[in-house]
Amino acid sequence: MNQTMNLGSLITGSLNDTLAVSLPLFRTELCLAATIVLVLLCRMLPLLRRLDAGLVALGGVCFALWFAWNDMRGIPVGGLQDGSAGGAAIVRQELFGGLLVFDSLTAYIRLLLMGFLAVYIPFTKASGIPDHEDGADFYTLVLGATLGMCLMASANHLLMVFMAVEMASVPSYALAGLLKGRKASSEAALKYAVYGAGAAGIMLYGISLLAGLLGTCHLPSMAAELSRVVDAGSASGNVMVLALGGLMVAVGLAFKLSAVPFHFWCPDVFEGAAAEIGGFLSVASKAAAVALLLRICFGLGVPTTGHGAVAAIGANLAELGSTRHFIVAVVGLMAAVTCTLGNLAAYGQTNMKRLLAYSTIAHAGYLMMAVAAAVAMVGIDPAGSRDAVSAVAFYLGTYLFMNLGAFAIVALLRNRLRSEEIDSYAGLVRSSPGIVIATGVVLVSLIGLPPLAGFVAKFLVFSSLVQAITAGAERPLMLVLLVVGGFNTVISLFYYLRVLKVMTFDPPPADRPGGEFSLVSLPGAIVTALVVPVVVLGIFWSGLYACAQLAGAFAS
Amino acid sequence: MQEFSPSTLLVLVPLLPLVGAILTVLLGRQLGAKAHLPAIAGIAGAAAVAVMLLAATARDVGPAHGVHAEPVRPVEMIATLWNWATFDSAYAPPAGSPAADPHLTPQDLAAGKDIRSFSIPVALRLDPLTATMLTIITCVGLLVAIYSTGYMHDDPGYPRFFALVAMFVFSMSMLVAASNFLLVYVFWEAVGACSYLLIGFWFTKPEAARAAKKAFLVNRVGDFGLAIAVFLLWMSYGTLDFHDTISPDGVIMPGIFGQTRLADAAGYVGGILGTAICLLLLLAACGKSAQLPLHVWLPDAMEGPTPASALIHAATMVTAGIYLITRSAPLFAACPGALTIVSIVGATTALVAALIGTVQNDLKRVLAYSTISQLGYMFASLGTGTLLGFTAAIFHLLTHACFKALLFLGAGSVMHSMGGVIDMRRFGGLRRVMPITAATFLVGSAALAGVAPFAGFFSKDEILAALHAKAWPAAHGDHHAAAAADGPFQLARFAAEASHSAGSAVGLDALDRPETWQILFWMSLITAGLTAFYTFRAVFMTFTGPTRVPEGAHGHGHGHDDGHGHDSHAGHAAHAGHGGHAGNAHESYESPWTMTLPLVILAVPSALVGWLLFTTNWLSHFLSATPSLTAPAVASTATPHMFHMNLAIQGTLAAAIGIVIAAIGHLGRRSDGPQMERFLGPLQTLFANKFYFDPIYSALVVRPLEGLALVAAMFDRYVVDGIVDSIAGIPVALGGIVRRSQSGLLQRYALAGVMGVLAIVVLLAWQLRG
Repeated sequence: MNQTMNLGSLITGSLNDTLAVSLPLFRTELCLAATIVLVLLCRMLPLLRRLDAGLVALGGVCFALWFAWNDMRGIPVGGLQDGSAGGAAIVRQELFGGLLVFDSLTAYIRLLLMGFLAVYIPFTKASGIPDHEDGADFYTLVLGATLGMCLMASANHLLMVFMAVEMASVPSYALAGLLKGRKASSEAALKYAVYGAGAAGIMLYGISLLAGLLGTCHLPSMAAELSRVVDAGSASGNVMVLALGGLMVAVGLAFKLSAVPFHFWCPDVFEGAAAEIGGFLSVASKAAAVALLLRICFGLGVPTTGHGAVAAIGANLAELGSTRHFIVAVVGLMAAVTCTLGNLAAYGQTNMKRLLAYSTIAHAGYLMMAVAAAVAMVGIDPAGSRDAVSAVAFYLGTYLFMNLGAFAIVALLRNRLRSEEIDSYAGLVRSSPGIVIATGVVLVSLIGLPPLAGFVAKFLVFSSLVQAITAGAERPLMLVLLVVGGFNTVISLFYYLRVLKVMTFDPPPADRPGGEFSLVSLPGAIVTALVVPVVVLGIFWSGLYACAQLAGAFAS
Repeated sequence: MQEFSPSTLLVLVPLLPLVGAILTVLLGRQLGAKAHLPAIAGIAGAAAVAVMLLAATARDVGPAHGVHAEPVRPVEMIATLWNWATFDSAYAPPAGSPAADPHLTPQDLAAGKDIRSFSIPVALRLDPLTATMLTIITCVGLLVAIYSTGYMHDDPGYPRFFALVAMFVFSMSMLVAASNFLLVYVFWEAVGACSYLLIGFWFTKPEAARAAKKAFLVNRVGDFGLAIAVFLLWMSYGTLDFHDTISPDGVIMPGIFGQTRLADAAGYVGGILGTAICLLLLLAACGKSAQLPLHVWLPDAMEGPTPASALIHAATMVTAGIYLITRSAPLFAACPGALTIVSIVGATTALVAALIGTVQNDLKRVLAYSTISQLGYMFASLGTGTLLGFTAAIFHLLTHACFKALLFLGAGSVMHSMGGVIDMRRFGGLRRVMPITAATFLVGSAALAGVAPFAGFFSKDEILAALHAKAWPAAHGDHHAAAAADGPFQLARFAAEASHSAGSAVGLDALDRPETWQILFWMSLITAGLTAFYTFRAVFMTFTGPTRVPEGAHGHGHGHDDGHGHDSHAGHAAHAGHGGHAGNAHESYESPWTMTLPLVILAVPSALVGWLLFTTNWLSHFLSATPSLTAPAVASTATPHMFHMNLAIQGTLAAAIGIVIAAIGHLGRRSDGPQMERFLGPLQTLFANKFYFDPIYSALVVRPLEGLALVAAMFDRYVVDGIVDSIAGIPVALGGIVRRSQSGLLQRYALAGVMGVLAIVVLLAWQLRG
């Protein structure tokens, strides 16, 4: 408080922090930013205009992926299993004066996002949705949105949270309207933008309420403040305002997660926009939103001992207990409702993209269940809490392949059949058995049946709920979530399998355009590259799970 | 040249056919008529690697040192690929079981130090038994695949066939190379699935679909036995690994057939539990190897393409049961009663199947029953529980694989040229129009009938010797066998068993007495005569007499749809001069070279391999280094290698009588005339109806189950479905409501959002107050 601030030392200090600490750990994002500039330059300079924007973007993404991979590898494995017992310190480094944080979750989500781009760009090249003219715009928007998502995953400050959400959202609005001249596409983009603007406004209001009452936007400091305000049992009016602020922030997050009742944009946008955009929004955006949810839940719900330090486990078990209870209640309730409504609404859909939109909503519900379990177990069963976060991380990893695989199949079949209606897939097995098998693998994995990756993911989520129940953390709610999750898995069986039934049993229409869709072709290779991991990760899941466990270690 | 490590090579054996299968599936349409290339390349590579592994293992075993002076050193190599799953604290051995560690004090037990995790490693093993099996599987598989390029050449399912064959070779090599009972179970099922798909290859044909279903269901009974056996094994031993494993903290975990347990005299459970495990394993083996009472699927399995019959239902898959019991030799050695049951089942199957085989008129069915019968021989040999018995069974397995594949492919060649006809009454004298097929078929038949010096003679002689040694222990010069029968070792074993369980399976163990073995020996000898009879009956009916060819056949015929075998033309064939026309001596019906070449290649080992392996005693010395067979209870029964002249004379005499009777009845006669078997009277009816196994099963099992199924179906349709339909209606109805809320109007969305937040606020407020 009574330090004598020397302007010079302040500047050197922050310079040192920025140059020596922050920028090296920020190189993935920097690489993305440089790629965006390069893509735009290519478009402006006549000499480089012939160059394909997609290839430039892919090159940049490969570098970014390499950086993200090295960051991930730099995280020590030892000591993470048992962080409390004098193991190696868990990596947690605040960047840019506390605006961002680098830890294992950041590294994992960043790696996931870069991996996603590395698959996504070739897929869009194969499906041909951005033509040569649109390419630069398209890839700029995609890379820009992904940059925002990286920031979402590493935000450590509510202002950064807002900035990152907006950075990820605004390019998404434009992407939704990419199909120029298509009424449905423009309408979807407009709805998305209006809805998103509304949600952002509410979120900003919530942030200002929280900041006003707690005097800071830095998440660890907020947690410390919260424990002072709430646990000390000060005026209940303040608590109500805090709860309202938290709820408003939750609205913004729910919009990004497409959680009920803020899911309405999702089916309309997915149906109106191209399938490629749907794939982008449902996989990358979902991963970032879930990571952000974890950030905020753990940032506000877990007491820390100060800047950049590790929370002492079990020492202050009761601290922030009511905050966590509030978080678990909101997230858990939303999860149950989101999952159920998503699955129910998927019944009777005739458009494949719309069906997948509801499926995306339902899967957000499953993910939120695990997040609720993770927060519930903080301070009660730290290992269980870590496991629950690992389950979320693993789920996101498998979801990348299975859901992007589903959207890739939709996009590539659209190119062939000129339709995205489920009925138009009738009898495809006779002419193109390969693609039907691929669809089967993806959909069965989305249901969560063994031996595919989706089963392992769902199993981990449910087992973390069981762990919470046995540990006695928020037992009634967790029990409800487990029952709801099981029930939803059963009812989801029907609408996924109906697609397969149409593809295999129904007679093909007489006037089907195009020939057979062989897996031995460039688009087929993309589908294969997405589907094979779904099978492989169902059998050899220990590798990805080890990474997910690293990510889970952030929760200690 | 780069030197590959044995473990790399071992992985290649299953891997190459798997890659071949996947490539065939992916590229099948593009390759079209060349769809066999990936599969054949994969199997050929695997065969080459398997032979290299055999050579490497043989080098490790070393040459035979005269009489077995010193015990043979077990040879094994384990390649653990990855750990499929690990379950912590999964198992605590019951007190006194062989899995319990005697060094632990009660304090340790209280501290839970005996609690073990259960892990399922994907581990492959290489030992003499596996090397032998791998070589047989891949080499026969390769020849069959080459043959199939001719046989299946214009079938619409051409790529599918080769994908399945390669998949089968993969599954079968994994089955014999797996070093873990759970993996064995997995590939046991995989092999069954391949077999199902190949029997039902022409699934549009009702008989094929029915036969596939029958094979699948009958095999389920056996698989059920294997599953229960695996559970019991885990309960008893706390692991399913064959080999010893070393836990991270350096403790050796004895595997079921690992060196540690093999060296331990009381390492295996006997008594009721041990006998139960062995009998369940036997049940599994009976299912896969078509032994009584689960043999009924194999003859019907001939509805599949003939190459598949040769590969799966004659040479390789049916030997899985033999493999399983040989591998489990130490388990069986602890349960003499179960061993005797193995022999009884085997000898009975051999006799019954041979009797049925004498009156079959369908060439492939004759071969099918002879397969069942020969497998019965191997079981009878295994049941002796002596080293000679086990090695003789594998020896016979090897020779049988050669000559039975040869005979099946020969039958396929006949069928291919006869326009799909396989009824022996409809053709004859084919030696003039199909000389190569006839000559090679004759070699195979001589081997099957046990004519010296063809392959089957030597292996059958070894089996008879093994049975003879159990029946008349004193007659055998070496007293080891006698000692094994009722010597001090036996007493020690009984004592060990008595300590294992209070109630022992004495009832079964009482079967293990010389009288039983004498009966089994005579049954086997009679079977040898019957085998010679039906084999040469088939040879004479098909290849001798006036040359006749059915109407549908064409020179270099291409109608090969097996479905024609039982069509309406069969009626014509009964009338001389109508059904067949005299074969034109100038017209050749010989099959293409892709089909005759494998016949010639297989004829060579069918003729020579028995003599070679017997005189050098290479195989039995090699096999005796298999860890399972180095168990003291087995290894101590080793006898010096010798030629049993009196047995050879008895066997040859039996075969000669059979051949002479067949010659009297069929040599040079028209095959559609009256047959000599009718003199058997009511017995002929009994044999022709296959001892009424099918109707009995139908009445006892199938009909009651069908009734039950009908009731269950009614219950399912009207009660369960009714409930399910009404429950399923709920999500649909709810979904309709939810869907309607998606009106497309942004204002309504915003309203819903606000309402939602309000709902949460109300809920929370209510909860906070309450």
